[in-house]
Amino acid sequence: MTRLTALDLRVAPRRRRREAIVRVTFAAAAGLTVVVSAAIVLSLIGNALSFIAKVDLGALWSDGWFPRRGLYDIKTIVAGTLIIAGIAMLVAAPLGIATALYLSEYAGRRTRSILKPVLELLAAIPSVVLGFFALTWISPNLIQAFTDAPLFSMASAGIAVGILVTPLVSSVAEDAMHAVPDYLREASYGLGARRRTTSVRVVAPAAVSGIVAALLLGISRAIGETMIVAIAAGATGGSLFGLNPLAPGQTMTAAMTALAIGSDQVRGSALTFESLFFVGLLLFVMTLTLNLASEAFVRRVRRQY
Amino acid sequence: MAPVTGTLTISGSSTVEPITSIVAEDFKAKNPGVNYTVDGPGTGDGFALFCNGETDISDASRKIKDEEAAACEAKGIHYVELKIGIDGISVITSPANSAVTCLSFLDLYALLGPESQGFAKWSSANALAGELASLEGFGDSHAPYPDAALEVTAPGEESGTYDTFVEFAITKIAKAREKDAVTRPDYTASGDDNVIIEGVSGSDTSLGWVGFAFADENKESVKLLEVDGGKGCVAPTPETIASNEYPMSRPLFIYVNTDKEATNPAITAFVDYYLSDAGIAAVTEADYIALGADELAATRATWDGH
Amino acid sequence: MSATPSAADLVALRLRGGGFDWKSYVLHGAMLFAMLIALGILIVLLADVAVRALPVLTGRPIDFLTSDLSSRPARAGIAQGLVGSLLLVLFVAVLALPIGVGAAVYLEEYARDTRITRFVRTNIRNLAGVPAIVYGLLGLAVFVTLLGLGKILIVGGLTLAILVLPIVVITTSEALRAVPGSIREAALGVGATRWETVRSHVLPYAAPGILTGTILSLARAFGETAPLLMVGAVAGTFSAHGGLIEQVTGPYTALPTIVFNWAGQPQDDFRSLTAATIVVLVAVILLVNGTAIVLRNRYDRRW
Repeated sequence: MTRLTALDLRVAPRRRRREAIVRVTFAAAAGLTVVVSAAIVLSLIGNALSFIAKVDLGALWSDGWFPRRGLYDIKTIVAGTLIIAGIAMLVAAPLGIATALYLSEYAGRRTRSILKPVLELLAAIPSVVLGFFALTWISPNLIQAFTDAPLFSMASAGIAVGILVTPLVSSVAEDAMHAVPDYLREASYGLGARRRTTSVRVVAPAAVSGIVAALLLGISRAIGETMIVAIAAGATGGSLFGLNPLAPGQTMTAAMTALAIGSDQVRGSALTFESLFFVGLLLFVMTLTLNLASEAFVRRVRRQY
Repeated sequence: MAPVTGTLTISGSSTVEPITSIVAEDFKAKNPGVNYTVDGPGTGDGFALFCNGETDISDASRKIKDEEAAACEAKGIHYVELKIGIDGISVITSPANSAVTCLSFLDLYALLGPESQGFAKWSSANALAGELASLEGFGDSHAPYPDAALEVTAPGEESGTYDTFVEFAITKIAKAREKDAVTRPDYTASGDDNVIIEGVSGSDTSLGWVGFAFADENKESVKLLEVDGGKGCVAPTPETIASNEYPMSRPLFIYVNTDKEATNPAITAFVDYYLSDAGIAAVTEADYIALGADELAATRATWDGH
Repeated sequence: MSATPSAADLVALRLRGGGFDWKSYVLHGAMLFAMLIALGILIVLLADVAVRALPVLTGRPIDFLTSDLSSRPARAGIAQGLVGSLLLVLFVAVLALPIGVGAAVYLEEYARDTRITRFVRTNIRNLAGVPAIVYGLLGLAVFVTLLGLGKILIVGGLTLAILVLPIVVITTSEALRAVPGSIREAALGVGATRWETVRSHVLPYAAPGILTGTILSLARAFGETAPLLMVGAVAGTFSAHGGLIEQVTGPYTALPTIVFNWAGQPQDDFRSLTAATIVVLVAVILLVNGTAIVLRNRYDRRW
């Protein structure tokens, strides 16, 4: 009878070698994701620093964002971004949370089978399409019909961005409400509460961290949105600092698009190429902060239950 | 002529782009071995690429500036300038704006010049117009202007249309008043002519300027104003633009990189076709104004002799 | 009776009818209103675009789908956009799928829970939330400028692949995590190596989920515009190039970039063209998404 030793349990060399090769390949794939991150950060920082070094610092606090005149007023484009994100959240927050609440606590099979596909369809629509819609329908029918705003306005772009972001807010908020354990609901119903009380006073507060996470993600997405503002908010050549939502305005992303379609590819005396990365770095930092904050809130939900 | 092969990279003015695009399409139909790319980021951007050796031909709605010519020379790029058509710059407002039908260079400076930053209403420019009234040769002032919101949508600085407008309406007055020859910065700038048309037609008391061809095509959406350049109000029409009676008519050019011709026969063949009767018909097909017979002959002579 | 009502009192009050509960109706009304708005927006958008697109789609549908870009609206078509989008999606599939699945398999099946792996996971989650335009900047800085590749289709494909990679990793990870441990233990118990376990036991069970996730991310790449604009998709007209090699090493465009460009064209006819392109774009995306959802529902296993 052959005695089996521990050495026999070891796999044949060929299999072991193959295993090692596969393992290293997959590890490299995972490592590639880190390389991508590093590349993003390095290229942004590198060119942004080059911009800071060369730019006349007074140009960063001037009357407006006119890169071809050498005026790089940051507060103009940041204000534009925040105004549009703000209007977007005014649309997406109520719509998203209301639909999430309904889907989580109220919806029967039939409503669910209609509502979920509607939200998924909205989520699938590319932002260029929403930008076209903002320009051709939202602006004339919703904005210009009631105010004397021009065709290009931050308000019409903001509403379209809100539509874009609603499915995201709805989905994350619904997940948060769904994660609230049933025993809390059962306790509430057991005390005789009605559905509204349970939803509003038990489920929603329990899911608050997740709802906050949803809103933060929504803001982050709204800030990073490009095509809608590039098409519908106007002011693509440059913009004076302004806070009026019924006027055209420029966001960080639209400013980057305008630079890219122009001569930014030509590096030269104008700092347009570097300014592109400076704004990009700003955008990256803002969205990263919001995303990390959102994750922190999601972790709180997990910890609670 | 036997079909040629090669690649053509053409960029520059968004005004000239439609013309060059049509010529390129038709040229390719006759020469299937040719590949082309035509786009229109703006005359200024086009020259930046051209003088960096990245394009073969640059479309332009104005002449090359001295700095740009110097940049080309610094990179050792030789070119020939060919006039291929005429366009006018049309000052436009909303069709609902019945109070204004004609503006002189004086008015344009008062409303759109470097000293007009912050004028939110037409009437804000009244004081400035009063000061300018003493200047001669820029037409009669049409102040007082209506007391209505002044919303300006117009080309940005990458555009040759911007440069030409400034050259016509702003520069001389600016020099007389010792200011920079630029427009006010606070307006909605865009390189897209459709954006400008939309912006101007979208509000009742708007103001802007755009190439005549685009304005004329969108006659239902915008109102073309008459312009007074010192000789009375003239409406923009193909005839007044061709005859130069309309004070803001401007030539359209293509700039061809002559060094690249040696290695790329497609360039020579393309420009030959462009200037032929079949090719130059694209100018009128794109709704621009064709050169007069003498000017066309002069362009052809320049090309043949280069 | 005590000052605060007891639970029994509250229930009794409710059961015996305590007045009209208007607040519930208000809440219900608000939620229904929100849903109507969501539905309404979708319908209005699709209807408005469809109506605008009618002249082109009924007038010259085949011509529209097979013609090249042109500055004459009557001759303009989206053939180059269709080809470009198709090639780009192929690039994304070939690059992002293997790398993404590989990375996910490593993180789920091989890696121990160390600080490094936690960092990698967080990093991937953050990458998934980075705005698309920043990936365009990355493509511009590295592929177009640093490596000097220029504005060619390969660069667009690489940029989109990098954009989609984190999403593929995340969805694959979720699919792998859903496979119960007993499946793996069955294989390991008979002496399989890790890779053999994954290959023969885990991946087949996770395949539908991975497939669905990949298809959805391909649909996402299909609709992306901003990164392509950053790395130089053509903004004007260009001629269709020759064979496959010329196609991927030359200028290119895609359906979403065509929409963006045409949305700013001066002629009225381009409005219909833009709408028609949108119809094609949205139709393809909905078809792909629908297929993914059908697949998910058909192969969804209950453990």
